[in-house]
Amino acid sequence: MTTTSILNAASNADRGPPAWTRWLDLGDRALGVVLLAPAAILLALIIVYPVLRLGYTSFFSLSLTSGLPAEFVGLENYSLMLEDPVFWETTWNTVLITLITVPGALLVGLALALLANLPFGVQWPVRLSLLIPWALPLSFAGLIFAWFFHSEYGVVNDVLVRLGFEGIIWFNSPNWAFAAICLTIVWKTSSFMALIILAGLQTIPRSLYEAADVDGAGRVRQFFEITLPLLKPSIVVALIFRTITALQTFDIPYMMTGGGPGTSTSTLAMYIHQNTVSFLDLGYGSALAVVMFALSMCVTAVYLRAIRTKE
Amino acid sequence: MNIRTMASVFAATSVLAFSMPAFADTDLKIFVSSQHQPDVWRKVLDKYEAANPGVKVAIETGGNTSEAQAQYLNTVMSAKDTNLDVLMLDVIRPAQYAAAGWTSAFENKDMSVYLPAYAGANTVDGKVVALPAFADAMFLYYRKDLLEKYGIAPPKTWEELAAAAKKVAEGEKNPDLQGLSFQGKAIEGAVCTFLLPYWSQGKNLVENGKLTFDHDAAVTALKLWKDFVDTGVAKKNIAEVATDDTRKEFQAGSAVFAVNWSYAWTHFQGAESAVTGKVGVTRLPALGGGEQASCLGGWEWGVSAYSTHQDEAKKLVEYLSSEDVSVFMAANGSLLPTYAAAYGNNEVLKAVPWFADALQVVETAKPRPVTPRYNEVSEVIRTTVNAVLAGVTTPEDGASQIEARLKRILR
Repeated sequence: MTTTSILNAASNADRGPPAWTRWLDLGDRALGVVLLAPAAILLALIIVYPVLRLGYTSFFSLSLTSGLPAEFVGLENYSLMLEDPVFWETTWNTVLITLITVPGALLVGLALALLANLPFGVQWPVRLSLLIPWALPLSFAGLIFAWFFHSEYGVVNDVLVRLGFEGIIWFNSPNWAFAAICLTIVWKTSSFMALIILAGLQTIPRSLYEAADVDGAGRVRQFFEITLPLLKPSIVVALIFRTITALQTFDIPYMMTGGGPGTSTSTLAMYIHQNTVSFLDLGYGSALAVVMFALSMCVTAVYLRAIRTKE
Repeated sequence: MNIRTMASVFAATSVLAFSMPAFADTDLKIFVSSQHQPDVWRKVLDKYEAANPGVKVAIETGGNTSEAQAQYLNTVMSAKDTNLDVLMLDVIRPAQYAAAGWTSAFENKDMSVYLPAYAGANTVDGKVVALPAFADAMFLYYRKDLLEKYGIAPPKTWEELAAAAKKVAEGEKNPDLQGLSFQGKAIEGAVCTFLLPYWSQGKNLVENGKLTFDHDAAVTALKLWKDFVDTGVAKKNIAEVATDDTRKEFQAGSAVFAVNWSYAWTHFQGAESAVTGKVGVTRLPALGGGEQASCLGGWEWGVSAYSTHQDEAKKLVEYLSSEDVSVFMAANGSLLPTYAAAYGNNEVLKAVPWFADALQVVETAKPRPVTPRYNEVSEVIRTTVNAVLAGVTTPEDGASQIEARLKRILR
């Protein structure tokens, strides 16, 4: 039977182009679809499906510790969330971290990029020192800074004491712990901002500055009239990436304080992790994750709108 | 010979090849917590392999705290991974594993051979869901040399302990010597920190699956620890201190008293210890006229429900949980036995003489609440203890928060 079908195919080939070359004759639109299909299928499998599944799970009461099968409960997980003080606290902490560390990293990153763009004789030490914090895994940065801020063995308190101040028990107070976390995040993420801004800086033609010199514009004026406007696209891209990762802040507070003292430095991502991985409450954890997803989408939409109006 | 015949011949030979157990090795993988002597367990497994030809057992370790290991195992088990056959579980976890259907039950197992606390901890709804690996409890470690120097007897109450710590501090005038080190960081140990003085007032947290929270006893318990911080018996940054920090501080000679599990003893006698031969160990003190309470620890062996070698895995666990192995691990790994008779075993007492007094502590130690939602109970208690010790929450508010949140979990 197999043999006959091969023979049929061979006789078909005699009459026209073989079947497997037929895709060459597709129109542009169809060809586009065919070429996009592998990437679209891959994205659908690893991103769209899990996101939809997450939304679906969020309508169920599904806790592995209950020993009960999943039960459809509609919006109950969401109404529980609104009454959950820890949800509001962790969400507020996440928003606060975003509001502090994104502008913080932008300012430090911009300064670092301008510094790295100066005509140094040897470029690589500057570039390398920009790359190292960026290349360091987040949890390592968290562990290292947890030691820096340790009240007894930490270098920060050592310096404070040597300067004549009193040492601070950083992780004993919500405010100091929060400050330590924000400082660490700014240190860790400003180099990423700097790298993107540095790439933008290098596309600005030198001739613009030469012309400005001829016209008598000072350094400060050149920065605000030439550098900053031409950097805007790079800055917006850097801000989108940074804001979304800030909303998902997990590693650094997890390693530094574990959310403590109490739950005062816990973030939404940490609360999702706790509910799903530790408490095995997949329904509630999914509902929390849907909220975080919506939050990230809103922020992205705002930025994308900002870019579009500029064009 | 056509293709169909060839295929059936091939299928027949492969069925034959896979159905000959005499030639096939059984490879088992067991998860051992890295802080509990995996190298000594290896020796036990070597013996088992020698006695059971064809069975190979590999050890997997990971994470250095009970919480980290629980997170790893939660991920492996939620994924229904068949890779691990046997799991070493903290005593607080069998109930959760049973509810999730992650461990296979042992049929017709006589649990009366073990210490009653461990028979209870491994039996969920009448089913034996795991077998005991070793026992543990919290003890009070003290500096024998310093107490003798100031003529103080080992304290029987927390009040006596505070007075003793003050007397030693006044005499020694050493700013680096703290009175008492205990666990204030938001880790599992902090749950016991809360429960020790709570239990000492004769109160229980959960009875027959129902919350029996006593608000006043909880306030008194939280206040005890907070007062230790405020009066300088414990140091100001106690909210940063985890179990192994307590061990290191006492080992370095910078604490008069320490609350810790039995594993610390071996470290205090080790080559890197500054206090070798100067350490005493006794029951934890009581609160006022209450009873002396300790927190029950210990770890259990569970067989993964997803293991593809159920019978071999159960046979291995029966061996690992046997009295012989319990004695071996006590003498060679300083792990407390789960059999009462093993505490009087000569081999054990030669290696760890203080185990003679440990039986009473283990027998009277109280278990933390047995519930499938233990992780949530633990989280509520430890973050509140941490917040109270850091001065973020008052003992009164802390007790109210614990009560309100536990009510929602243990409905």
